[in-house]
Amino acid sequence: MNTWRIAIKNLSRQKKRSFLLGSAIAFGVLIITLINGFTGSFVENVGENFAHIFAGHIFIDGVEKTPTGKTLYIVRNDNELIQAIEDLEIEYSFLTRHSEFSGTLIFEGESVRQSIIGIDWEDEQYFTGRLILKDGSFENMQNPRSVILSDKIADKLKLQVGDRMLVQLRTYTGQQNVGEFTLAAIILDPGLVGSISGYANKTYVNELLNLAPDEYMTLGLYLPSMDDIDPTAEALYRRLAEDVDLFAREGEEDEVNPFMAIMQQIEEEEWEGLRYRLYTLNDMLSEVEQIVVVLNTAGLIILLILFIIIMVGITNTFRMVMFERIREIGTMRALGIQKGGIRRLFLTEALWIGLGGALAGLAAAALVMVILSQIFWGLDSPIFILLKNGYMTFRLSFLQTAANLGLVAVLTLLAAFFPADKAAKLQPAVALRTQK
Amino acid sequence: MAIVELKDVHKIYPLGKTEVHAVKGVTFEICKGDFISIAGPSGSGKSTILNMIGCIDTPTSGTVIISGQTTDTLSDKEITELRHKEIGFIFQSFNLIPVLNVYENIEFPLLLGKNRPKKNEKKEFIDFLIHEVGLDEWRTHRPNELSGGQRQRVAIARALVTKPRIVLADEPTANLDSVTGEAIIELMKKINRELETTFIFSTHDPTIVEIADHIIRLHDGVVASEERRNREPCRKNEET
Repeated sequence: MNTWRIAIKNLSRQKKRSFLLGSAIAFGVLIITLINGFTGSFVENVGENFAHIFAGHIFIDGVEKTPTGKTLYIVRNDNELIQAIEDLEIEYSFLTRHSEFSGTLIFEGESVRQSIIGIDWEDEQYFTGRLILKDGSFENMQNPRSVILSDKIADKLKLQVGDRMLVQLRTYTGQQNVGEFTLAAIILDPGLVGSISGYANKTYVNELLNLAPDEYMTLGLYLPSMDDIDPTAEALYRRLAEDVDLFAREGEEDEVNPFMAIMQQIEEEEWEGLRYRLYTLNDMLSEVEQIVVVLNTAGLIILLILFIIIMVGITNTFRMVMFERIREIGTMRALGIQKGGIRRLFLTEALWIGLGGALAGLAAAALVMVILSQIFWGLDSPIFILLKNGYMTFRLSFLQTAANLGLVAVLTLLAAFFPADKAAKLQPAVALRTQK
Repeated sequence: MAIVELKDVHKIYPLGKTEVHAVKGVTFEICKGDFISIAGPSGSGKSTILNMIGCIDTPTSGTVIISGQTTDTLSDKEITELRHKEIGFIFQSFNLIPVLNVYENIEFPLLLGKNRPKKNEKKEFIDFLIHEVGLDEWRTHRPNELSGGQRQRVAIARALVTKPRIVLADEPTANLDSVTGEAIIELMKKINRELETTFIFSTHDPTIVEIADHIIRLHDGVVASEERRNREPCRKNEET
């Protein structure tokens, strides 16, 4: 029998009170663990969803600047790019060559701005797998002038599958141009940024943009894992720098992310011929990572506020416990226990409650995570961008969880310290004389 | 040398804006192996004197010497160690730890201090004490499952488990019926004879007082009389 066992026995005296105190701690830990678990997979899920939307993890654009200062996005010949990818033996799931414009769709007096991406449907069969068809058929894309639009755009223009609409745009050199699309299919708008683009045949998009059939604007690499993005991009950048002119990925100020740094260079610098910009999904996700930091900080603040309330409860409870056991404290002191022994006994009880509550909170959080991750929220869910294939996922960092447990232990001990210290400093005779 | 010496001990308690002079210049000594009763009516200072002998309270003035050590020069830690090593306590209300069973209550003092006995020795001695106080069948029971007499027997065993030289019992029979009370005093007397432990108990019950072989009668905080039966005063060179 030691302090730990006596502490446990003491806690069993007031089971309901110990349970309520432990439950309050468990609730705090449950909340913070859920937030941490959710944010742990937040970046990955958002990243993967963005990768689907943007069709890649690493992107290379060709950029030209005309004597009049106009910026043109075009890849005229990608031999050097493909050679670099092959030389580095980069493993990729898909390689995409897209052209894109932002134009105005016009149908029966209604118009709407819409970005249209030109896709090579023969080479990018996988693409249809991530679109949720509401009406029409992807087979209709065999018509070279077909377009796929989201339900929101279709509703706005009151379009039905088979309808023909006009599209007004500027060619890649800035000339006005007009074309005609036939609505092949209507897809579900997954919400948030998922509705940014319509999809058409690249050949026709190139024609409208006045690009040659083998020219395009963005080369995209879809990698097997998001973890590969940064090392692959770094290697590819170094290899490409040997053969082609590239925008620097660092800004003058350290805090500027590579994507913004390149945009700044495009705007401010003058150059001749073609210069490439290489950017990654992570460059664009740095804002998302900031959201994660904000969420985690908010979670920590919630935990601290909860624990300040809980600490007041613990302090009050232990003051009450001290009063209830005042003669027992006197007896123990008379029997030879040192002041430190009394302090240790109370703190051990608090630690048991803290750790017990924290472990119960972790177990409850694990259960809630399992339940939530079994629910199919749908691909049309408003929180689609945060999900993985329609399912919520959670990822907990061991270090973060251990830090949370440590924080709970420290706060619990701190809350119990003052009553424990007061109990330890009681004169045995005074404690024994006290009438409850 | 005496095992306990009190020299001109005073104790004053603050009581609101006034003071209570509970003990007024008490002087006496107790020899090793004494079975001594401190008798007197309520408020005569019995418990206060026992508390000072037990080092759980300090005198306002005067000197308390336990086993040759003057207690007012010791730190709280040293006093606690002295208490643990030299003194056992039996309380009027038994003061057992409610969450521990009979065996664990008796064992409790052995978990404290530096020189802890080996596991086998400890178990053997606790078993011996449980047998001595007649609680063999109750060893796994908690205090709330025992009668008042049984609880006080546990308290006696607990007081003896560290093999102290002095056992203090503050009104040990006050919460017991007369038959049980006498049995408890007889048990204490038997242990006093067998183990030569010095027993100091306070009581206001005249029948219990008569069992003692050294009686100090208090009245209003002073020693009214002192009576030794078949006991000589402590020899100056007596080994403590």
